[in-house]
Amino acid sequence: MSEQETVYKIIGKATPRIDGPAKVTGKMQYTSDIMLPGMLYGMVLRSPHAHAEIISIDTAEAEALGAVCLTYADINPIVYNERSVSIPAATYRDRTVLPAKARHFGEPIAAVAAASEELAYQALQLLKVEYKVLPAVFTPQEAMADGAPQLYEQIWLGEEKVAVKNNIGVIRNIEEGDVEAGFAAADRIFEHTFELGRVYHDQLETKGAVCAPEADGSLTVWCTAQSIHANRQLLGRVLGLPLSKINVKKLPLGGAFGSSIQVNTVTPICACLALKAGRPVKLISSREEDFYSHQKYPSVFEVKLGVAGEGRFTAAQVKCLVDFGAHQVQPLPYMGCVAGWFASLYRYGPLRFLGTAVYTNKVPCCAMQGYGNPQINFAIESMVDIICEEMGWDSVEFRLKNHRGVGDEFWGQGPTIRSIIKSCGVPESLTKGGEIFAWKERRPHTEKSGRYRKGIGVARGFHTSGTGGPKEGEVIDYSSCMVKINEDGSVDLISALMDHGGGTWDAMAKIVSQTLQVPMRMIGLSPTDTRNTGYDVCTHATRGVYCGGAAVLYVTNKVKEKLLEYAGRILFEHPAALEIICDEELGQGVIFAKNYHQKSITIGEVAKIAQINSWGTIAYTDSYRQRNCPPCFTTHFLEVEVDTLTGEITVPKALLYGDCGTVINPVLIDGQLIGSFNRGLGYTVYESLDVDQKTGELTNKGLLVDYKTPTAAEMPAAENVLVHWTDTYEPSGPFGAKGIGEAALASVQAALANAVYNAIGIRFAKLPITPEVVLAALRAIDN
Amino acid sequence: MAKQEIKLTVNGKIYHLEVAPNEILLNILRDKLFLTGSKYGCGIGECGACTILAGGRSYLSCLIPAVAADGWEITTIEGLAKGEELTPLQQAFIDEGAIQCGFCTPGMVMTATALLNENPDPDEEYIKDYLRGNHCRCTGYIAIVKAVQAAAEKQRQG
Repeated sequence: MSEQETVYKIIGKATPRIDGPAKVTGKMQYTSDIMLPGMLYGMVLRSPHAHAEIISIDTAEAEALGAVCLTYADINPIVYNERSVSIPAATYRDRTVLPAKARHFGEPIAAVAAASEELAYQALQLLKVEYKVLPAVFTPQEAMADGAPQLYEQIWLGEEKVAVKNNIGVIRNIEEGDVEAGFAAADRIFEHTFELGRVYHDQLETKGAVCAPEADGSLTVWCTAQSIHANRQLLGRVLGLPLSKINVKKLPLGGAFGSSIQVNTVTPICACLALKAGRPVKLISSREEDFYSHQKYPSVFEVKLGVAGEGRFTAAQVKCLVDFGAHQVQPLPYMGCVAGWFASLYRYGPLRFLGTAVYTNKVPCCAMQGYGNPQINFAIESMVDIICEEMGWDSVEFRLKNHRGVGDEFWGQGPTIRSIIKSCGVPESLTKGGEIFAWKERRPHTEKSGRYRKGIGVARGFHTSGTGGPKEGEVIDYSSCMVKINEDGSVDLISALMDHGGGTWDAMAKIVSQTLQVPMRMIGLSPTDTRNTGYDVCTHATRGVYCGGAAVLYVTNKVKEKLLEYAGRILFEHPAALEIICDEELGQGVIFAKNYHQKSITIGEVAKIAQINSWGTIAYTDSYRQRNCPPCFTTHFLEVEVDTLTGEITVPKALLYGDCGTVINPVLIDGQLIGSFNRGLGYTVYESLDVDQKTGELTNKGLLVDYKTPTAAEMPAAENVLVHWTDTYEPSGPFGAKGIGEAALASVQAALANAVYNAIGIRFAKLPITPEVVLAALRAIDN
Repeated sequence: MAKQEIKLTVNGKIYHLEVAPNEILLNILRDKLFLTGSKYGCGIGECGACTILAGGRSYLSCLIPAVAADGWEITTIEGLAKGEELTPLQQAFIDEGAIQCGFCTPGMVMTATALLNENPDPDEEYIKDYLRGNHCRCTGYIAIVKAVQAAAEKQRQG
C-alpha cells in the first residue's frame, strides 16, 4: 500500500448516519417525547372566523375545571415577526402572542393548560368567546380593492410605524439596465402568466413545545426549531426576561422544509402558559392545527422575455403577486429572493422585477424548500421551453449558451447578497444528462398518439448555499461552534447548528474527523442549548454544510494549531514539522514527525499531558461568517406518461443531476435529491390548499387524507431513479463543498410540466396539474 | 369515565393498567409505559407513524382504544432489537440511507417488519403497495424500498 492510500479520508465516503441506531430503535427523543414531573398539557383555541374582533373571552368555567387560561389580556402585547433571519430594519412586525382580532380561520385566540389532555380539551370547550365577525378577503384582488376590509391599519418596519393601504404588505421593485431598450432590441417577445398555489410543508413532526419554569426564575424550552437562538431571543422579548434566563435545548427535528425557520406560533403561547401556571407545559399541535400554522407562499408571475434571433435574451421582466396571508413571516425578503433566483438563472441583459405582496384572511405563508425558487423556476424554465419550441431551438443548447455560470454574478439572497460564481456543474449536467436520457432522440408530441403518451422534459435550477456575501446585506449569516479535544483523544463538537434530518450533523462530524484525523466514532455531537453555544442564525437557505461546516472547519483548524503546538513541545519538534494520521484500529489520531515516523504521540496522550502539566484544555470557540453564497445547481431530466383516459400523470424514469461541489456523504446527497423529487412530484401533480370562500376554512379541514401527497407507490421503479452529481469543487466551501437541499427541488416542477407538454402538446401554466385539469385540457382540444 | 383494568404484554413485559374507555393505545404506550418510539403524526390513521405489531401483524396504535387491546401481545419499535443487536431490517434502514429526520422511521420499520413476516420474498411493487399507508416526507421512499429488499435478501440467506 502506498503512503497516499493509507491516508485517512472520510469526506466523500458513504458512512452510516451517527443517529441511525437511535432513530431505528425509537430511542431518539423529539420535542413531543419530552415528559417532565408535574407537567400540564396545553391546548389552543382557534378562531372559527376568518376575520373577527374578539369582544370578550370568559374563562371562568374553564378555570373552575382547574385549567390555567391564557388570553390577549395575559400576554405582553409586544408586536413582533416570528422570523428573525433578516436584520431588524428589513423586518415587518405585525403580530402578538395572541391577537386582539382574529385574522384567519384557525388563528390561535386563547389557550389552556390542564393536568391531562382530556381535561385541557374539556376546558377549551368551556371558553366563551364573543366575536364581532368582520367581512374577510381571500384573494389579493379582493384585498387590494378600494373599500375592502382592512386586516391592519398600521404595522412596523424595524422601529418605524408604517400605514397599510389596500392591504398591501410589501412592494418590492428592482430594475437593472435599460429594460425598455432591451425589449425594443428583441426580435420576438414572449409573455405568459404562471400560477402556483399554496401547499403545506407536511413535516412529520407537528410543531410543538415543552416549557419548564425553573427554580432560579429561568425557563427551559424544548421546541421544534430550525434555530434555537432565534427562539430564545423572541421569548426573551415576549416574556421580558434576560436571555440568560431562557434556555432553549437543541433537539432533533422531525422534518422542517422551512416550517420552523420562524419561531413556531405555539412556542411563545406555551412559554406564557408555563409561566402563568408555574408548572411545565407541553403543547403539541395536532396535524389539523399544523395545517393552519404556516403554508408555502403562492405566487402569480407575469413573465415577459425578449429574445434575439441568434438564440439569446435581450431583456426580462417579471411581475409577481403574492397572497401571503394574515401575518408577515417575511414576504419582503421572499420577493427579494424571488427576484434574485429569477435574475440568476440566465444572462438576460437588462431586467426588471415588480413585486407586490398582499395581506389576506388566510394562513400566514413562510419559506418552504426554496423560498420562491421552485415557484419562479417553474415560470422561467417553462418559458424557456416555450421559447425554444416556437423558435425551433434545442432547449438544452439554449440553456448551455445562456445560463449564468463561472464568473457571473449570483444573487444568493435577494439584491443585497451577491457573489461571483466560482464553480458550476451546469454544462456537465446538461451535456451528460442529455446523453444519459437520449435527449437528442426525443420525439415531438405531434408524433404521439394512443391512450398512454410518454414525454421527456428538462429543466435546470439551483439554490444558494447560505446567505453570506462579500458585503453584509439584509440577512444575518454566521455560525458558531466549539471544538474540544478530550484527554482520551476523543473530540466534543458543540454547536447550535440544527439538523432537520438531512444529515447536517453527520457532515459536521466528518469535517472534524477529517481535519483532526480522529475516527468518526470518537467524535461526540454535544446535546446542547442556547446557554452554552454561540449564535447560529438558522439552518435554512441550504447553509448547513457550506456555512455551518465552514465554521466547524475554521474552529477545528484553530484547535489543530494548538494541538500541534503542544505536541511539538512534547516531541521537541516544530509544529510545522508534524502531521496527524488517523489510526482507525487504535481509535486515535496519531501525531508524527514528518518523514520520521518513529517519533509519534497520540492526540489523547497530548491532551492528557497538557492536562497533567496544566497547560490547559485543547479547545477553541469562535463564530465564522462565509463571504460567498455559491449556487448549488441541479438539472432534472424526467420522463412522464400521461394516461389520456384518466388524466393521470406518472413518472416512469427520472434523472436527478446535482452539483454540490465536493460530496461529503453520497448517501445523503442521494437522499436530498430523491426526497426532493418526491415532494416536487406532489407539488406539480397533487397538492393544493384551498379555502372555503365564505368561511375561510381549509377545504381539506386540515386532514392529510384530503391532501394527497406522493406515497411509495407513486415513485418510479428504484432502478429508474438515476442520481448523478457533477465533478465540481467550490473553492470557498469546506473541502470544496457547497449545499444541495433546496436546489434539489427547484427544477422538478418545470421539468415535469415540460415533459407533459412533450407527451400531449398541452402547456400547463398553473399547478397542480391534477387529472381533472389534464382531462379538461384534453377535452378542450377535442372540442 | 370509569376506568377498567387491562392486561398488555409489551415487548415481553406484562403490564396491568387502569385505562379509561376513551384512551387510545398510542397514548398508553407513550405516556404510561414511556415507550415514545411510536410517534404521533396525525392521530387518525393517516400517516402510520404510530404503527406497532401484535401477533406479527401491523396495527395503527392511534386508532385502537386501549381497552380493545386487552390481552394483546404487542411489539413496539423499542422491542425489535435484542440489546444492541439490530434486526436485519433495522440495519438495512441505516445502511441504505432510508432514514432522514427519523420521525416516520419507527412506524415504517414496524410496517416493513409485518410485510416481511407475511412475505419473505416481496418484489418492489409489493413493497411499495404495502408501505402506501406510511407517510415519509423526507426520503422519497426509494431508499426505504431498497432497505426492505436488502433485509429480505439477508433474511432468506439466514
